[in-house]
Amino acid sequence: MIAERKEVMSMKILEILRANRRVILLLGILILLVPLFGYASEVVGYSEPMENLAESFEVSENTLYHGLFYDYSIDGLDPYLGALLCGIIGILVTLLIVNVILRLITIKKNESS
Amino acid sequence: MHIPDGYLDLPLALTFYILSFAVLAYSIIRGRKELDESKIPLIGVVAAGIFVAQMLDWPIPGGTSAHFVGGGLAAVLLGPYIGSIVMASVVIVQCLIFGDGGITALGANLWNMAVINVYAAYFIYSILKKKLLVKNIEISSFASGWLGITLAAIFAGIELGISSTFRYSILVTVSVMGVWHFLLGIIEGIITSAVVMYSYVYLQAQKRYIV
Repeated sequence: MIAERKEVMSMKILEILRANRRVILLLGILILLVPLFGYASEVVGYSEPMENLAESFEVSENTLYHGLFYDYSIDGLDPYLGALLCGIIGILVTLLIVNVILRLITIKKNESS
Repeated sequence: MHIPDGYLDLPLALTFYILSFAVLAYSIIRGRKELDESKIPLIGVVAAGIFVAQMLDWPIPGGTSAHFVGGGLAAVLLGPYIGSIVMASVVIVQCLIFGDGGITALGANLWNMAVINVYAAYFIYSILKKKLLVKNIEISSFASGWLGITLAAIFAGIELGISSTFRYSILVTVSVMGVWHFLLGIIEGIITSAVVMYSYVYLQAQKRYIV
């Protein structure tokens, strides 16, 4: 029973991957662009309007919670490689969270109907 | 666009937690009716795309720049209810896993990027497409991406401007946030329009539809 379910699941995953291969390729390209954009934005001295505004009011951040990979970096890793890996982690976590939330919503929908 | 800890007064931050979760609960209730289980993987891919696109800071010479937010894209592709749930998921992952946006400001960030950006963008898109007879999807989605991010930034400016840290200088905060994002938002509009058009062509070719 469990083996059968596993087989159905893997078939489903393969089917999804096959049906969305172009989109997955696009995601891969975007991930590869992360370090490149990170480098380029460093070169031009990237800052957002909110940061400039805070600077003019002499307001500084007071970070209370750093998360697991603060500022898309991984301790001990090169920042660009860290950002690349964070991109992959972020994509996987987002996929998981959205799938779980939406599946919970559909389960509730099926229960109520 | 992500407000960090230390910028907002705590009572204000708490108010936005309550407001955001109230609207997101409404989105879940309404979104449940239009959600089809078979579309979930594709919706997940849209969310993942928005997450990674937000990581790309636009390297504009001169320094002052922004990054793609994606509220308009989520609104046009997924509708306001599922769109806001997707954007909320992205903003929560960014905050809890990557410390992007303060934990105290999470409610305000959800309000700006998952509520205002998505609902305003969807409103603009539908008004242009239906009532004002701009049937052209490229133009409607461009405007929704552009004006959606501008309105989200204006709200961020209001939140900062009614906080003691910014000395209640609401006119300054709103104008700086609003004007810069009005200009930079053109890029958001172009990306939104391009992705929407690609998605329509790609999905129609496969006879698949997100919403």
